Amino acid sequence: MTQPARKRFDAYAMTWRLPIIIWQLLFFVGPLLFMVAMSFFVVKNYRMVEAFEFTNWVKMLGRGYFWDSYFLTLWLATLATVCAMVIAFPAAYALAFKVPDSVRRWAIFLLIIPFFTSYLVRIFSWYVILAETGVVNSILSYVGLGPYTMLNTKFGTIIGYLTLTLPLVVILQTFAMANIDTRLVEAAHNLGCKPFATVYRVVIPLAKTGLIIAALFCFILSFGDFVSPYYLGGSKPPTLPILIIDTTKSGQQWPRAAVVAIMMMITLFAVAFAAISAAYAKRGKS
Amino acid sequence: MSKIKNLGGLVTPSRRDVLKYGGAAALSMPFVSRAWAQTVEVNMLAWYGHGEPDIVGEFEAANNVKFKPKYYAGGDNMLGLIAQSPPGTYDIILSDAEFVQQLNAAGYIEELNAADYNFDDMLYDDFKKFPGHWDGDKLHSVMVRCGHLGVSYNKNAITAEEATSYKCFWKPEVKGKVGHFDWHLPSLGMMSLYNGNGAGLWDLDDAKWDAVKKATMSLRSQVGGFFDYGGTFNSLKNGEMQAMCGIGDWITGVLEKDGAPVASVVPKEGGIQWTESYCIGKGSQKADMVKKFIQYMLTPEGQVKSAEMKAYPGFAITKGGRAKLIEVDKKEAERTGQIDGMTNDPITLIKEGRIHYRGIPKQQSLEDWNDFWSEYKNA
Amino acid sequence: MQQRVLTWFLRAYIGVIFLFVFTPIAFSVVFSFNSQRFPTIPLGEFSTQWYDTILADHDVWQAALTSIVVAVSASAIATLLGFCTAYSDYRYSFRFKGAYLALILLPPTIPLIIMALAMLAWFSKIGASGQVWSIIIAHSVLTAPFAMAIIRLRLNQMDENLEAAAWNLGASEWSAMRHVVVPFCKPAIVSAACLCAAVSFDEFAIAWFVSGLNKTVPVFILEIVTGNIDPRVNAIGTFVFMTSMALVVAAQIFFSTKQLRKPAGEAG
Repeated sequence: MTQPARKRFDAYAMTWRLPIIIWQLLFFVGPLLFMVAMSFFVVKNYRMVEAFEFTNWVKMLGRGYFWDSYFLTLWLATLATVCAMVIAFPAAYALAFKVPDSVRRWAIFLLIIPFFTSYLVRIFSWYVILAETGVVNSILSYVGLGPYTMLNTKFGTIIGYLTLTLPLVVILQTFAMANIDTRLVEAAHNLGCKPFATVYRVVIPLAKTGLIIAALFCFILSFGDFVSPYYLGGSKPPTLPILIIDTTKSGQQWPRAAVVAIMMMITLFAVAFAAISAAYAKRGKS
Repeated sequence: MSKIKNLGGLVTPSRRDVLKYGGAAALSMPFVSRAWAQTVEVNMLAWYGHGEPDIVGEFEAANNVKFKPKYYAGGDNMLGLIAQSPPGTYDIILSDAEFVQQLNAAGYIEELNAADYNFDDMLYDDFKKFPGHWDGDKLHSVMVRCGHLGVSYNKNAITAEEATSYKCFWKPEVKGKVGHFDWHLPSLGMMSLYNGNGAGLWDLDDAKWDAVKKATMSLRSQVGGFFDYGGTFNSLKNGEMQAMCGIGDWITGVLEKDGAPVASVVPKEGGIQWTESYCIGKGSQKADMVKKFIQYMLTPEGQVKSAEMKAYPGFAITKGGRAKLIEVDKKEAERTGQIDGMTNDPITLIKEGRIHYRGIPKQQSLEDWNDFWSEYKNA
Repeated sequence: MQQRVLTWFLRAYIGVIFLFVFTPIAFSVVFSFNSQRFPTIPLGEFSTQWYDTILADHDVWQAALTSIVVAVSASAIATLLGFCTAYSDYRYSFRFKGAYLALILLPPTIPLIIMALAMLAWFSKIGASGQVWSIIIAHSVLTAPFAMAIIRLRLNQMDENLEAAAWNLGASEWSAMRHVVVPFCKPAIVSAACLCAAVSFDEFAIAWFVSGLNKTVPVFILEIVTGNIDPRVNAIGTFVFMTSMALVVAAQIFFSTKQLRKPAGEAG
C-alpha cells in the first residue's frame, strides 16, 4: 500500500492524535492526580487546606472499620461476579449457538434497554418485590413458605448488583462465544467429545478473552456501586463506596474520602492487570 | 460530496446536519426562555421541600420571584455544598440551628437587621434569642420552624405505653426491625438521653462518651439497616422496620396522613428539637427579596404553610401562626398537640425540660462522632 | 432427543433472565400510574397524578433541558474525540501506542463515584464547578471510550486499500478523509453519538457531584429519592426510559440499514 511521502512533522497525523491526549490529560488525568494530592491535604474549620501530611492515610488505614469495609466490598464484588457469570452463561450460550441470528440481534437490543432506564428507579422497584409483605413473599405464602427477609441483607445487595451487571455480562459473554470458530466445536463433536465436555474443554477456552473481560467489568461495576448496598443492603454493613460518601458528609473530610478512593483504585488496577494478563496470555501447551 | 443513497424509499437528510441544527436549537433555548421571564431568581439551599410550590407558590406569584432550590440531606452536606460553590451562589440558606455558628465562622452568611423581624410574636422566649443565632446583639439567622424527635414506632409492634421510653428499641420482638436514620447526630443524641444525660446530652466527658458508645453498640443486634429519606419512608410504610431511631413526627407525620400505623412520641428520657432557620447568603444580590420572604414566613399565613408543609410537617412558632393553624386546620393542630392546654403541647414539653435543642458535640469533634458511626455500621 | 430438550430448556432460561431484568422496569411503569404514594401490594387505583405533577413542574422541564443540552454537547465532543483516536489507532503505529490507548480506554474502569469525587475537587480548584459545561466535560471523558470502540470496529470493516486508492488518484490525505473515511464511518459515528447521548442522559453520580445548581434529570431523581420519595420518580423514570429508547432505536436503525450495503463502502 503506497503512502504519501512521510514528512518530518506529520501535521495530518498529529491532528488526529493530539486532541484526545490533551483532553484526557486535562480532564481525566488531572482530576485523578489532584485526588492523590488531595489525600495529603488537611481540613481546618470545615475548609480544605493544601498541605502535605500523612495524617489522613494513617487515620483511615488505621481504622478497623476501613479494613472491614474493604474486605467486605471485595468479597461481595467477587460473589456478584461469580453469580453473574454463572447465571448469564447458559443464556449467553443459547444466544450464541441455539437461536437464529435475528433473534440474537433482538435479544441483544432488548438487553441494552436496561442501561437506559434509571438504575436508581429500578432499585426502588425491588422494594415492593422483595419486601416481607411484597410480591415474592405473597406468592410464596400461597404455597406455605416464608416470609423471607430479603431486603437489608447481603442477599438484597447481590440482587442489586445483578440488576446492574447482568445485562452487560450476558451481552459480553454472547459476543465472546458467538465469535469463536464453530468449526472447532464441530471438530470436537466429531472426535467424540460429549456435549457438556465440549463446553468445558472447547468453547470456554476459545472464548476465554471475552469471558474474562465480562467478569472484569462485572467486578468493577459491583465494586464501585453504592446504590445497591445502600438501598437494598441497608448499609449494613457499609461498603467502600458508602464509606466515601459518609466521609465527605462529615466535616468535609474530602482528603479522607480521597484515601478510600485511592485504595479502591489501586485494588481495581491490580485486578484489571491480572485479568487482562490472563485474558491475553498465550496458552502454554495446547 | 458523497451522495447518500436512500434505502427503501426513506428520505434521509444528512444525520450530521440534524444533530448539528438540533443541538444549536437546544443550546439557544435557555436564552430564549430567560428573555421572556423577567422574574427575580432566588437561589435557595435547603432541606427538601422548602422550595416547593406549597410553600413558595403564593409568594412567588405575588412578588414575581422564582425560587431555584438545591436540596441537601444533613448539615455536613450543606456545608460541603457551600464550600464547593463560588461565593454568592446561594441567596437564601435554610440551616439547622446548630450549624448556623459554623456558617458564620466560615463567613458564609450575612448579618441581619433584628428590627426587620417580628420576634415578639414568638411562642416561647428562647425562640426570640435562639442559641447560636445571635452573636451578642448581632443577628445572623431567623428561626422559622421546629419539630421534635423521639421514639418513632409502628403501633402494631410497640404499644403507646412501651414507647414512652427508648428502652422499647431493645424489645426482643423487634429484633432486626429497628432502623436508624443515617445521620449520627440525632441517633447518638438519643442514646445519650437514654443514658440519662438529660440537658448535658451533647456535653460528654470521656467516661460519658464511652457509656454512650457502649449503649449504642448494645443496640446493634436489633438494627435492620441505616436509611436515608427514601429508605426511611419505604421501610416504615411497608413494615420492614417497626421502630426507627433518630427521627420524629417529621417523617411519621407524613406517613400517618397516608394511613400508615405509625406514630412518634417524646419519651420520658427526653426528646430532641430540630430547629430550622433562614440566613442570607454572603454576597447575595437579592438580599432584599430574601428578607421579604423571611418576613413572609413569620406571618400567620407563612407559619401555617410551614406547619402543613407537604415534605415534612413542623410546629408553628408564633402566636399568630398557631392561632391561624387552629382556625384553618384544627385536625392537624390536634394531631400535633399545638393547642394551648393539650398534654403534648410542644411548648409545654419544652417548659417542662423534656425537650433539648439539637446541638453539636462539645467535647468531641463531629468527626469523632462520625467515625464511631462508621464503626457502628460495620459492627 | 436430548439435544431438543436441552435447546428448549436453554431458550426458556433466556426467558427467565429477561424476566429478572425487566421486572423492576415493568413495576416502575406500573407504579407510575398507581394512585398510592408509597406503593404496596395490593395496588391502588389507576391515576396519572404523578405525570400531571411532573409535567406541570417547571423545574422538571428545566432539568430535562439541561440534560438534553449536556447529552448533545457531551456526545458531540466524545464522538469527535473517539473518531480521532480510532483513526489514529487504525492507521498508525507509534511508540507508546499502548499508553495512548489506555488514556482513552481507562475511564470506564474507574468507579463513577471516584471519578465524581475527583472531578468535583478538580473543577472546584480550577473554578469550573457547578457549571453546565463541567458536566459536559465530565460526561465527554466518560463516554469517549464507547465512541472510540464503536468507530474502531467500523474501521476494521473498511478495506485498507480504499484510502490508498484515493491517494493514488491524486487526493490529499485531508481530501481522502473527507470523501472516503468519514462517509464510510457515518453509521458508526451516528451510533456512537446516540450511545454517548443516552449514557450521558442517565448518568447521575458524576452529575450530582459536579452540577451544583444546574440539575440534570437523574440528579433531580436522586434529590427526590433522598428528599421526599414518591412515585414522581417512577413517572420521570419512565420518561427517561422512553427518551433513551428513542435514541437507541435511532442508532440501531442507522447501523443496521447501512450494514445492508456492501461492507467495502462507497467512494464519493
